[in-house]
Amino acid sequence: MSPVVEKMTSKERVMAALADQPVDRPPVCTPTNVATVELMDLVDAPFPDANRDGEMNARLASTAYTELGFDTIAPYFSIIQESSALGCDMQWEQKDNWPTVRMSNPIWKNSSDVKVPEGFLEHQDTKAITDSIRILKQEFGDEVAIVGKTMGPWTLAYHVFGVEPFLLGTVDDPAETMKSLEALKEITILYGQAQIDAGADVLTVPDHATGDLVSGEYYRRFLMEMHQELEEELSVPLMLHICGATVDRMPYIAQTGMAAFHFDSKNDPVEAIEAVDGKIRLVGNINNPTTLYARGPEDVRTEVYAALDAGVQLIAPECAIPLKTKLENLVEIPAAIEDWIAERGWD
Amino acid sequence: MSITHEGLAQEFEYVTSPGERKHISENIDGTAPIMQEMAYELIVGNNVDVDRLTSEALAEGFTANQVLDDGLLNGMAIVGVKFRDNLIFVPEVLVAARAMKAGMAHIEPILSASGAEPAGTVIMGTVKGDLHDIGKNLCIMMLRGAGFTVHDIGVDSSPEDFIDAVEEHEAEVIGMSALLTTTMPNMGRTIATFEDMGLRDEVRIMVGGAPVTQDFADEMGADAYGENAVDAVDKASELVQLLAELKSS
Repeated sequence: MSPVVEKMTSKERVMAALADQPVDRPPVCTPTNVATVELMDLVDAPFPDANRDGEMNARLASTAYTELGFDTIAPYFSIIQESSALGCDMQWEQKDNWPTVRMSNPIWKNSSDVKVPEGFLEHQDTKAITDSIRILKQEFGDEVAIVGKTMGPWTLAYHVFGVEPFLLGTVDDPAETMKSLEALKEITILYGQAQIDAGADVLTVPDHATGDLVSGEYYRRFLMEMHQELEEELSVPLMLHICGATVDRMPYIAQTGMAAFHFDSKNDPVEAIEAVDGKIRLVGNINNPTTLYARGPEDVRTEVYAALDAGVQLIAPECAIPLKTKLENLVEIPAAIEDWIAERGWD
Repeated sequence: MSITHEGLAQEFEYVTSPGERKHISENIDGTAPIMQEMAYELIVGNNVDVDRLTSEALAEGFTANQVLDDGLLNGMAIVGVKFRDNLIFVPEVLVAARAMKAGMAHIEPILSASGAEPAGTVIMGTVKGDLHDIGKNLCIMMLRGAGFTVHDIGVDSSPEDFIDAVEEHEAEVIGMSALLTTTMPNMGRTIATFEDMGLRDEVRIMVGGAPVTQDFADEMGADAYGENAVDAVDKASELVQLLAELKSS
């Protein structure tokens, strides 16, 4: 429990929680996307265009605060902006699906291929996010935390090398894998810094070294130090995001110095809190496909309570939500936090 | 038990369930040294040696079925157990799969020519709007290793793609994969299309993928959920048997 704290703005609440400072209530956070088809219709900002146009992007992103009552606005909806600017083969899809990189057509083979194209930050798809952050900062900068997002080197590697060739390479030639990751890390820093310059208060760093694909030992061996370096290079609080089962690598993640770890519902929140041992804040972990997408507010409430009871510091959906998630389930998250405090107390 | 190859004997120690130890040791017991070496090299992902050993075994007069059962599949059985028990992960399975493929390249033409009855026919695909295929590909490799005929319809597969493939190949089972939470509902839409076309009773449907759960599979109306590639093989076997029993009754 925190000491008595005066009512905070959403921004103050999020920044305090990420700094492990007292808060008036746990914030509702959006490390990843919470835009839905319903919200796209509401503000006339549909996918895929909302991913590629700064003004439209800002309009859609702001609904996280104006319509859902979340404490953050996160304008980067997907994981493909950098990859598109690097020249990856894209499938832009329609309003109800994510744009995707065609990873079966990788653009690079090895570390020596890794080069940042000239004008990378001016590419339509990287610029859409920095433009959006500037707009959002101007409109909401005093009251809401603006959360940017820059892909970690592991996720970029999936996109530029293809998942299977990249993972095979980690066994065949780990030294070459490290060289590739080192080179890709510079893209993470470059784009992260551009978003900080545009006004991002916080950055999410998705880096999908998930337990569904690789071991916790892989995380320690290939990524832990690199994530420590990202934390040193980028001056705003960082939220690492990794989907799937991650408890086995949480003790390593807790050593990165990052502000928070955004974790998946595949991990029990009590076990997660124990695994990080107070060394990093946790953000999560309301289930997306079953609870938020397919069930109702009562189930959402149960999961919010479970996360809060466990001591999770920032409440959020586990990952980017299905685009047809019902709004009543999303607005239940902040409502459930208020009710949990009313029932359990927060002083 | 007589696992004479030291490396294979060490790998076998990762199998801890009594039932599995009995089953796998019975399969390995008495196999030729070259087969045990092949199984071991497959487990550790040495595709060059599996390629060489398969070729040598055939030249020495071992049959393609012996190479498959005594060498490659005994190796994959231990890979499957280690993967399921989180002792190894996808990179290690990929190198084992590459080694399996190297061996299969020698024996597949022989097996196909022999006209042996497959364990079943499965259509595998990633659902509409989803381009992820690594999990699907691992399932396909394991299913083929277990004797299934598998037709891979690739990624971004519409309900009509699945229906066309089932009709063309007279498949008993379809396996749908999804990685994205936005595309997972397309599993339900595909199942609904089979129902609308009056084909639901003709085929059994299993689903899988990192964000997919048993609850989600149930809500979508699937017949089975494969938690991983090894589980997918077990589920496919059960579904083929179930369908056969239903049709015979």
